[in-house]
Amino acid sequence: MSPETKIWIAVLGVGATAVVTRCSFLLFGERLVLPESVERALRLAPAAALAATLAPSVIIMDDGALGAVENPRFAAAIVAAIVMWASRQMLWSMAAGLAAYTAVRLLA
Amino acid sequence: MRAGLWDMLPASPAIAAWSLVTGVAMAKSALTLGQAVGMSLIAYAGAAQLAALPLMLAGAPIAVTVLSALVVNLRFVIYSAALAPSFRMLPMRERLTLGYLISDLGFVFYMRHETTLRADPMRTWYFFGMGLLVFVIWHLASLVGLFAATFIPSNWGLDFIGALALLAVLVPMLAVRSAQIGAAVAAAFSLVLRGLPFKLGVIAAILAGIVAAMAVDRRKEVSP
Repeated sequence: MSPETKIWIAVLGVGATAVVTRCSFLLFGERLVLPESVERALRLAPAAALAATLAPSVIIMDDGALGAVENPRFAAAIVAAIVMWASRQMLWSMAAGLAAYTAVRLLA
Repeated sequence: MRAGLWDMLPASPAIAAWSLVTGVAMAKSALTLGQAVGMSLIAYAGAAQLAALPLMLAGAPIAVTVLSALVVNLRFVIYSAALAPSFRMLPMRERLTLGYLISDLGFVFYMRHETTLRADPMRTWYFFGMGLLVFVIWHLASLVGLFAATFIPSNWGLDFIGALALLAVLVPMLAVRSAQIGAAVAAAFSLVLRGLPFKLGVIAAILAGIVAAMAVDRRKEVSP
């Protein structure tokens, strides 16, 4: 198999994983009804999923070490979180976070 | 449908930035432009694309590449299961269309009102509107990233915009005790397990966060 073909097969495979995972439980429709306890647990999933995705990108520094106080991303995230809590406006929060990130990096 | 578009609109700059970064990464890799464009259009999964890319380029076996993308996409299985109670009664074609349009933000936004939306006949259009906007912005921005990659330096911190968007979505959820504990546990697990391959640590962290949040939820029930 040529490397060219191999890449295209891998691309199709990666695409297939996206379709299969996204449609997994929706594919079964009425034939698969999860117990109420599982449904309740899944309603708690969004906060956990966001925090799990977010934590590394805010706390891990460019050199791979963990850093809070000395990390411009962490400082910016704190600013963005406070603005979001106070204003409930996503765009304000992101603008404040980006401004803080830029400011801290320029000053450091 | 308009409500869906409207609710998702404030998030669109973040989606565009994250997609642009993914497009730039694809274009700056050793893939040909055709392959990079094909990858973006076919895969429609930023994190999985970024995970699969180095493996593809290193000539890893196809099974390994696909498996790593599968693991990164496993969170969609959780989303799909959580959305099933709202959409399982629809015809197959509609279920699969909505499924294909699942995105991280679309899922989170829908779940904010899930209990009321479940009885709303317009919920399908609401979810479709959000999904469609994410889909269109994602592909447009990734094409811009692919074709303009040489003009976009990698030190702009564009990837950080994605993190700020997730943060802005997370903060309002933290008004509830179970969500606070779940998020804290998930964040801690994600950091401790960050060395695991294929982002398996993120999946483990989500599950740990759900378990912790459930424990808080249950205790509240026993002693209100």
